Amino acid sequence: MRRLTWFNATSLTLGFAFLYIPMIVVIVYSFNESRLVTVWGGFSTKWYGELLQNEAFLDAAWVTFKVGFFSSIIATVLGTMGAYVLVRGGRFYGRTLFSGMIYAPLVMPEVITGLSLLLLFISIGLDRGMFTIILAHATFSMCYVSVVVSSRLVSFDRSVEEAALDLGCTPFEAFRLVTLPIIAPAVISGWLLALTLSLDDLVIASFVAGPSATTLPIKVFSSIRLGVSPEINALSTILIGIVTIGTIAASLTTKRAVARRQREEQMAEQSA
Amino acid sequence: MPETAFEPWNDPDAKPLIQFRNVTKQFGDFTAIDDLSIDIFEREFFALLGPSGCGKTTMMRMLAGFETPSAGMILLDGQDISPIPANKRSVNMMFQSYALFPHLSVYDNIAFGLKRDKLPKDKIDARVKEMLRLVQIEKFAQRKPEQISGGQRQRVALARALAKAPKLLLLDEPLSALDKKLRQDTQFELMDIQEKTGTTFVVVTHDQEEAMTVASRVAVMDHGKLKQVDTPERIYEAPNSTYVADFIGDVNIIEGHATAEGDTVSIAWAEGQPPIIGTPSKPMGDCKVSFAIRPEKVAIAAEKPQDRRNLVQGKVLDIAYLGNLSTYHVQLVNGTVIKAQASNTRRRASLPFTWGDEVWLSWTDTAGVVLES
Repeated sequence: MRRLTWFNATSLTLGFAFLYIPMIVVIVYSFNESRLVTVWGGFSTKWYGELLQNEAFLDAAWVTFKVGFFSSIIATVLGTMGAYVLVRGGRFYGRTLFSGMIYAPLVMPEVITGLSLLLLFISIGLDRGMFTIILAHATFSMCYVSVVVSSRLVSFDRSVEEAALDLGCTPFEAFRLVTLPIIAPAVISGWLLALTLSLDDLVIASFVAGPSATTLPIKVFSSIRLGVSPEINALSTILIGIVTIGTIAASLTTKRAVARRQREEQMAEQSA
Repeated sequence: MPETAFEPWNDPDAKPLIQFRNVTKQFGDFTAIDDLSIDIFEREFFALLGPSGCGKTTMMRMLAGFETPSAGMILLDGQDISPIPANKRSVNMMFQSYALFPHLSVYDNIAFGLKRDKLPKDKIDARVKEMLRLVQIEKFAQRKPEQISGGQRQRVALARALAKAPKLLLLDEPLSALDKKLRQDTQFELMDIQEKTGTTFVVVTHDQEEAMTVASRVAVMDHGKLKQVDTPERIYEAPNSTYVADFIGDVNIIEGHATAEGDTVSIAWAEGQPPIIGTPSKPMGDCKVSFAIRPEKVAIAAEKPQDRRNLVQGKVLDIAYLGNLSTYHVQLVNGTVIKAQASNTRRRASLPFTWGDEVWLSWTDTAGVVLES
């Protein structure tokens, strides 16, 4: 192992301090005994207990979870279908326009997306609530899914699908038995992306949410306007914990996949 | 049963398995196949040979059902196959990239087509095992395509394409991904498998050596047209155009003016050089011709040979030593370079000629091909 020079060590410390000090502050103060957020009053876990008693937060969390679950599934199905047609559909009329249009929502300011969805829901007389949030989230996250899936479709050998047709598959069977299993990792990561986007969206949700349904980000944001409570710190700490576990799990899985791949390559070489 | 030569193309009663009838295929303004007609017979090992972009892959894709002709008809067993989609044709293809299903084991790759036919399980199992034996990869049945070597993948691809016992098997550059040594071994195996299964094979390749080795007939293509369709031996020894002569193997081409002299022609080709005496395949009048002669048909000697009618003198310009053979580039007095090949039959002797040596080149009346140009 090489030792770091003092310059590198300083850069590393400064960089990571910049990234993580805000989060550390939140985590530390979530264990604060005092109700005053900025005054340390000793260690306690009582705010976690209070958080679990707070029905408003628990409801919001449940709504957020349901919205994330359904909207990400809708986005994954629609996004995958869109990517498949745009990449494999051949050169139908207007294809370039469509491929451009699928990327446009990615760069559209969220405020505009939110506003236009709100206007749409009002004009067709749809009551705002969980259903409208699900629709709105599916709308903006399907483009992300479609981008992820189409990059996988572009990179894999078209002749594999032709081989499936050649061996007697109908086009739909070829998709189900060959294409889908091959692009599955991209579909799954697209789904995870859509889920994450939905879980932490504030702007669009606050346009299309109604009194009957509030998501966690909206709830957090509105309660902060009344002053930061230690409960929010506790909630943030829990979210940071979930994200950390998720990230570590993902990187372990990737590492294992790489190791398996290396083993397979070795096997191939030995069998040659 | 007496061995009769397998030559259905010479039998007027033979019914072709595949017929291309005036097939044209256009992609936008580009004509990939230009009014092409050809018959391919059952049990043939037929090679489509040509440079990239000559249309050979398009022909194969039309047979497989991935492209439809713009005009003309393709018949399989006397039936027009244009309206039949790829998945309903009794034609299977081995892809250049092998196109194995990466998420399935070797066994399941081979079983894939059989499962689509809804065959009973035990029948599928028996057939897959038979295929694994045929291409000698029983050991790897449970492995994924990533876990086997390139040569083994090639076998899996072949087994998968043969599993459904198609009337016609298409092979797209089947050996191009293998290294040279493995390729040569596999060529013979491929011929062996073709004979064992009795399947008609159509192979697309740009490798003339491969086409010559494996095929019963070779079609040389250029710009969407067939230049010559014949046995490998006829293609090599009796090419019908300078394009074919030049595409297959090494050749000297000499342009000149022919004058008929009975069965032979006398070709005047350069000031101060004696005319070349050649034998055309059919009688021809006085006209411009190209004389094509293979380097191995040109003898090289230090002393002037007595018995040859075609004799020229020159200087050794270059020597390409290939181990079993040496090719000498000999420059004549007028600047023309003619290649002559000699086999190196003796081991210890140093090469008989060296750079700058004065040598005599000679060949017989029938050694070269006279082509009207």
